[in-house]
Amino acid sequence: MKNKMMALLAGVLTVSVLFTGCQKSGGNSSSGGTSSGGTSSGEKTTVTKEFKPASTVDWYVASSPGGGSDIFTRMITDIMISEGIVDTNFIVTNKTDGGGEVVRNEVAHMSKGDRANNTLLTFNSGCLMPMVENTKNRSSNFKVIAVMAVDKQLLFKTEHTKYADFNEAIEAAKSGASIVIGGSKGDDVATYEALIQEIGVSADNMKYITYDATSDAITAGLGGHVDFVMSKPAAASEYVEAGSLIPVLALSKERFSGNLADAPTLSEIGDYEDVEVPVWRSVVAPASMSDEAVAFWTDALKKVSETEKWQNDYIAKYKLIPEYMDAATATGYISEFEKNFMASKGIQ
Amino acid sequence: MSNFEMLLRGFSVVFTPANIGASILGAILGLIVGAMPGIGSLAGVALLLPLTYKFNPTTAIIMLGALYYSNMYGGSFSAILLNIPGDSPAVMTAVDGYPMAKKKKRPGQALFTANMASCIGGTIGMIILTFAGPALANIGLKFGPSEMTALLLVAMTSISWLVGENPIKGIVATAFGILLASMGMDTLSGSPRYDFGSMHLLGGIPFTPFVIGSVGFAQVINLMNERYVQTEMIDAKLSIRGSLPTKREFLRLIPPSIRSGILGTFVGVLPGAGATTGAFMGYAIQKNFKSDEPLGTGAVEGIAACEAANNAAAAGSFAPLLALGIPGSGTGAVLLGGLMLWGLNPGPLLFQNEPDFAWGLISSLFLSNAITLLIAIAVIPFLTKILAVPTKYMIPIITVVCVVGSYSTTYSMFGVLVMLLSGIVSYFIQKNNYSTAPMLLSFVLAPLLESNMRKAFIISGGSLKIFFTRPISLMFMLIFFTMLLIPLVRSIIGKKKEEKTA
Repeated sequence: MKNKMMALLAGVLTVSVLFTGCQKSGGNSSSGGTSSGGTSSGEKTTVTKEFKPASTVDWYVASSPGGGSDIFTRMITDIMISEGIVDTNFIVTNKTDGGGEVVRNEVAHMSKGDRANNTLLTFNSGCLMPMVENTKNRSSNFKVIAVMAVDKQLLFKTEHTKYADFNEAIEAAKSGASIVIGGSKGDDVATYEALIQEIGVSADNMKYITYDATSDAITAGLGGHVDFVMSKPAAASEYVEAGSLIPVLALSKERFSGNLADAPTLSEIGDYEDVEVPVWRSVVAPASMSDEAVAFWTDALKKVSETEKWQNDYIAKYKLIPEYMDAATATGYISEFEKNFMASKGIQ
Repeated sequence: MSNFEMLLRGFSVVFTPANIGASILGAILGLIVGAMPGIGSLAGVALLLPLTYKFNPTTAIIMLGALYYSNMYGGSFSAILLNIPGDSPAVMTAVDGYPMAKKKKRPGQALFTANMASCIGGTIGMIILTFAGPALANIGLKFGPSEMTALLLVAMTSISWLVGENPIKGIVATAFGILLASMGMDTLSGSPRYDFGSMHLLGGIPFTPFVIGSVGFAQVINLMNERYVQTEMIDAKLSIRGSLPTKREFLRLIPPSIRSGILGTFVGVLPGAGATTGAFMGYAIQKNFKSDEPLGTGAVEGIAACEAANNAAAAGSFAPLLALGIPGSGTGAVLLGGLMLWGLNPGPLLFQNEPDFAWGLISSLFLSNAITLLIAIAVIPFLTKILAVPTKYMIPIITVVCVVGSYSTTYSMFGVLVMLLSGIVSYFIQKNNYSTAPMLLSFVLAPLLESNMRKAFIISGGSLKIFFTRPISLMFMLIFFTMLLIPLVRSIIGKKKEEKTA
């Protein structure tokens, strides 16, 4: 009897340890992709001159599922697999702890080896801004793999919004009413700050509520808890189609196309300059990633950016500006951006 | 077409051999994953997602739905048998489940109660989801920052029902939970709080290792003190019959299951509140109703109230996901990611564009509920045997489970450290007759309350009026004040009566 018991318990323990071994990550992780022929996740790949990815690649996203960064990441992994660019299993993990700083720090300081060569992180200007403001982590702690595209925001109203258009809201704010805009962290906050500065209202009359991701801000908009929602086209796309979000202002120097074409730019609705804070979307890796691995991933992302699916189902559908930069160009671009941002905020 | 017809159409999609097979497989895997501490439904769904790539989307989501669903059953197993919650919603199940299994030597009955209550709660949740899913999701949307603040205030006062005999000790434990929850980055301004320069603490104290430590590892330390106490062999026969509850017990579990089923569904629909909050609230409400035995001593009602609530919340969290494309829980969020990879766009148009898929999923929940119940009951006799293992063997085994579980949620030794520390702290807390339940509850609720309250104040410009001018928040504020005043009024009336009799 006792022996049977011990065997049963040993079995339970073994299974639990196995499960933990298989589970590569915490947080809201979900895996995508086809399994490459029953190889285990711990399979070793030796880094020779020709880098080959391991059977499982970890890809971290520092914001919630359904937001812009999440859609960006899932689109890339989907294309990499369906177009046969990389034969591997991607485990996309959304880790929002500490506003994303925890995972950014983890990736930045990963020690050299297979794991570092098979770890990627979605990184955009909205990630960089709070990172340098609140932590000592810097873009130089990463290997930049590629910049993929440039994104811009719009303001949307819902059926609950009291104002017919944004001009009406500006007038109301100027005469003392209180307008509430909801949006995501980082770059959305920067765009909001540029917006109220340009139209000359105070942050008390035009307020901003920071949500964990654009998807949460949209929820608040649909419930009528904020007057306007700030979003990039991708996260808002479904809701615009269903008519529950109506674009009212393009935060861009020119109008968007398609179903977002109705939204005027700021200069069209009054005596203002257009407000545009372009958001670059990039992919970075641990600083310890080998040069061969960097070359492999930057090339894989180049191939993604050249596919028809990327052009049509991502860039065109979500109205982004295609902007592929390889590792070297992207590194220069991002460190320049970081330098300017830190100078503007007076960060040492 | 009415919802009922749509549901029947959904059943016609589900009842194919492949789909039923997927559902059974999902249910078995879900039970295993759910029973293992630290590996919650999130990880389970995430692990299974790549496997389902070869399937068509409907079969895939049926399997994931079954897995998610059966997880809620599995979580209670280790809570009842080892006093280690398999997942966070099962924290409250341990409060009554473990005493019932250990002290009353009725582990089979405790497991049976948990399974039955899960089934009843889940079924109620699904029925509500079927007939009022989209409407319910719209009610959920009405809960903005001010409404959530008022609701959470009510929930926080309900902690008073958990504090036990000494209210001051209860308040101290509650405040300690709030203090711990305030560590980490401030969600609104992004500034770090109590991080002591550590990047890990910037993310706050991770919940699962904290729970495993303060419930499970504290238990290990306790066991070490009683390791020489001879464990009596439990005389339960290795049969399902030996695990059946009495008729009286069966009747006792039904009313709390129904109450918690309705409450839990609603909590599941609310943005940001998931199965854990549901289970806590279900248990707290049960304190207000009559139980045959006092809660916390192994009462059937206690197990039923929280298990029914967490399963109902699991069903409820599908409503905003399906109707509006908004995930109501972390697992819902992973499912959302899955839907997008299959080329389905969750969102307001899902029910119109993909009715077979949406209704197939809902009907598959009914199917997996039934399948899971059967499997869960069938394994009870084997599970209860775990209790017959002598304490000296259980100590290292539970420790391994605690370490593995806390490591797997954070994928770092930081989680293990949090688990060990919170275990030691909780051991001393309990040793001094403080209860850990209020600490855990306030740890869950405080961050939600803080972020909602601050958003509400941003909207109102710092004015309290926002809580009293909107109908839903006004209603909750009235309940809140009533709850605060009732004990006061009672004591005044009591004193007057005493004066009269004197």
